[in-house]
Amino acid sequence: MTGITDESAPVTFDDEWERRAEQRLEETEFDTELGLELARDVQEVIAGEMSECEFREKYHDTVREEFGEDAREIAGLDAIGDDTETAASIEDRSRGFFEDEESRRSFVKKGGVAAMGLSMLLGGGDSPGESATAAATADDEDDEGTRYGMTINLNNCDGCLACMAACKQEHGLSRGAHWMYVLTYEDEDQADENFLVRPCQHCTNSPCTKVCPVGARHTRKEDGLVLTDYDICIGCRYCEVSCPYGVNYFQWGEPDVPDEEIDPSHQIDERGRWVGARPPKGVMGKCTFCADRQDGQMGEEKIGTTACEEACSMNAIHFGDLNDPDSAPNKHLEQYRGSQQNDLSAFPNRTDDTVSTFKLLEERGTSPNIHYIGNEPSQHARQVPGPVTYEEVGLVDNRKDAVLDDGPTATNGGEQA
Amino acid sequence: MSTDVTEASEETLLRPITSLSRGYLVALGLGCAAIAFWLAFYVQQLYHGLIVTNLGDWGTGGGVPWGLYIGAFIWWVGIAHGGIILSAAVRLIGLDTYQPVARIAELLTIAALSCAGLFILIHVGRPDRLVTAVIPAWPTRVQWSPLMWDVTVITAYFVLTGTYLMMTVRYDIHRLRERLPDTFDRIYDLLLVGYSEAEDEVVERMVWWLAFAIIIMAPLLLHGGVIPWLFAVLPSMAGWHGGVQGPSFLSIALTSAVSGIIVIAAAFRWAYDWKRLIPDEIFRGLAKWLGFFGLMFLWLQLQQVLTGIFAAPTTLQHATEVKVSTPLYWVAIGLVALALVYIFASALEPSLFSIPRIVVTALAVLVGTLIEKTLFVVEGIQHAHFQLYDGVPGPYTPSLVELSSVVGTIGIVVLFFLVVSKVIPVVELHAIESDHEEVER
Repeated sequence: MTGITDESAPVTFDDEWERRAEQRLEETEFDTELGLELARDVQEVIAGEMSECEFREKYHDTVREEFGEDAREIAGLDAIGDDTETAASIEDRSRGFFEDEESRRSFVKKGGVAAMGLSMLLGGGDSPGESATAAATADDEDDEGTRYGMTINLNNCDGCLACMAACKQEHGLSRGAHWMYVLTYEDEDQADENFLVRPCQHCTNSPCTKVCPVGARHTRKEDGLVLTDYDICIGCRYCEVSCPYGVNYFQWGEPDVPDEEIDPSHQIDERGRWVGARPPKGVMGKCTFCADRQDGQMGEEKIGTTACEEACSMNAIHFGDLNDPDSAPNKHLEQYRGSQQNDLSAFPNRTDDTVSTFKLLEERGTSPNIHYIGNEPSQHARQVPGPVTYEEVGLVDNRKDAVLDDGPTATNGGEQA
Repeated sequence: MSTDVTEASEETLLRPITSLSRGYLVALGLGCAAIAFWLAFYVQQLYHGLIVTNLGDWGTGGGVPWGLYIGAFIWWVGIAHGGIILSAAVRLIGLDTYQPVARIAELLTIAALSCAGLFILIHVGRPDRLVTAVIPAWPTRVQWSPLMWDVTVITAYFVLTGTYLMMTVRYDIHRLRERLPDTFDRIYDLLLVGYSEAEDEVVERMVWWLAFAIIIMAPLLLHGGVIPWLFAVLPSMAGWHGGVQGPSFLSIALTSAVSGIIVIAAAFRWAYDWKRLIPDEIFRGLAKWLGFFGLMFLWLQLQQVLTGIFAAPTTLQHATEVKVSTPLYWVAIGLVALALVYIFASALEPSLFSIPRIVVTALAVLVGTLIEKTLFVVEGIQHAHFQLYDGVPGPYTPSLVELSSVVGTIGIVVLFFLVVSKVIPVVELHAIESDHEEVER
């Protein structure tokens, strides 16, 4: 029996673990040493340090030899395991086989790792998490037509808040309504200062549009923008409580900027619906991905741009059609990945690049259309004061304390109190 | 077996209609004052917007977008649904003991559903659009939005209960017409359009089927379904999500409805000296039901707390820890628990039972359930899955504008009973008819 040992395994197993594992494996008719090695490497797969395909390839022959078949096999892909195939190409093929990302993942979980069973038999840790499948996964969204979205490179963000100020200015937002929000946070496993740039995620599978009783919150089918029809919204705020991201801002009182100061061309979209600029009193508002710009109301040259993107001098925000491979978000991701290549000649099993990407709360099933480059905040992350305070750029952070608690005096016929 | 109320005459039954006391006028004044108190605040809200509440945006905004208005909405719908379930049970499975309070339960349903509907109106930012936006959107949104299911089912129930009441009241009015005041002749004429005694048998059968529909629909669709689904289907709010909400809401509905019926029935009994018409036996029976439903309520709370604390996912664990560390939650649970203690003690030792005591107990349960439901709404949204914001969890204490709405809606229910009891008998004629026979089915 060929044994493959990996001295550099980052997961350490103490003697007690090994003794128990051996004891239990010896009770079976199968190879104890193989079982132990599999269990160790499964830990690495769970930790995201080894891809499932690598794991599969590594033991394919020995497993087949020992068990007569490799139960970890991915159905319909018999050729997998062929030594000439790379891990990446296997990943790609498995992706194509499944109708959507969800079923692929669930299969990978059940078939690829859990079915191995040995690790579980030994009490070898939690079930494989989402980290096993890299965050930069293929999109399961509709890839027909235009689907606006963003790539936000958090590594480039310096927390200057210019995007927030520009958004407020362009849409005439009331104090404390941050359609675009940048928060600085500290996290357990990340260096001291991290940023999260949070516009509306314009989810393809948006909960807010599902729960809206009157269809005011809707997805514009031409380009995937999730918008609110201010003429229909009854102000029930169900969209707000259903949104996992907290991107909705209700107009509790009179807006700071009166209607007459807003150009109707920014308000009415190409379908004739009032979806742009700040909402009137009693109605819900949120980031529109600058629908007026996309409709050409601000000139041809502004189509495919947003106010926040324009204001960002750090090249962090990239807006465009995610279905177009040559769009700004896709190009930036490609270029950034190209600039952060891994040395595959020395480490052939590594991913092509060192770029970490994620979608916010992707496990909620919302199919968000913002791709982030950078590290994802964990459950333990907490917001901290940033390098530039909200007040410094003329913004109010906590709307409740600073505006709403003043009651009607907070708004005075559209003027600031 | 029916309660022995044969000694009570039609005169007793018609006492609220034929008499006018100082107490009645005081109650009427109080009801109107409560409504006026709320209206004075509500006008401010209409004028300035929801900024007069203590609600806010969750996320960066440091607030909660749903609060007492939604808590009180659930509470009133619960009272309404429980009331009609009780009334339907009387008709469906022949719980004739409770026949004298069946119509009170139906009227409570109508009044409480109206209050619930009013809370939707008060809660939204654009109440003027409730008709113009909701009706055109209905065909396309009803299969999607739980809020639209909700409005639909509440409307269905309102119609169902109204029909139910209308059908049964015709029998009484026809027979009591001579003794009813001429002042309301037009109303009686309208209620009796096309009436003939031949319809009684058919009506009784129809009422039986309506009761059947209500009994089936209520636990499946109403407080066991659509209302909790407003929350239970949202996975982003750990405190809301999950299958226990249906049973839990239903237990609260039944608990608070029985309490409501106890309070109102006791008020009528006291005001009109209806010791024979609504005998002690009914209150003892209602107390036992209250004890049973209260026990269900506490048991379901225990389920939620235990599954939320013991090795729960982090956000659910956090939400549950907050729940159990909120003193007000224990006030709510404590009120229901104390009510249970009294009810079970008086079941063991009947001398402990008295009507004033059971009324106080029922009021305690009503307060407890309103607190619990409001906390459920507020804490659910305060502890969202995404906790990164500094403003999460946001603070919330209801403003006077919000609190006044609870007072106002209680005033509406009081006023409703005072007015209705002047026009139609609030106790069915069947309740005093010893010769009332079950219709063959």
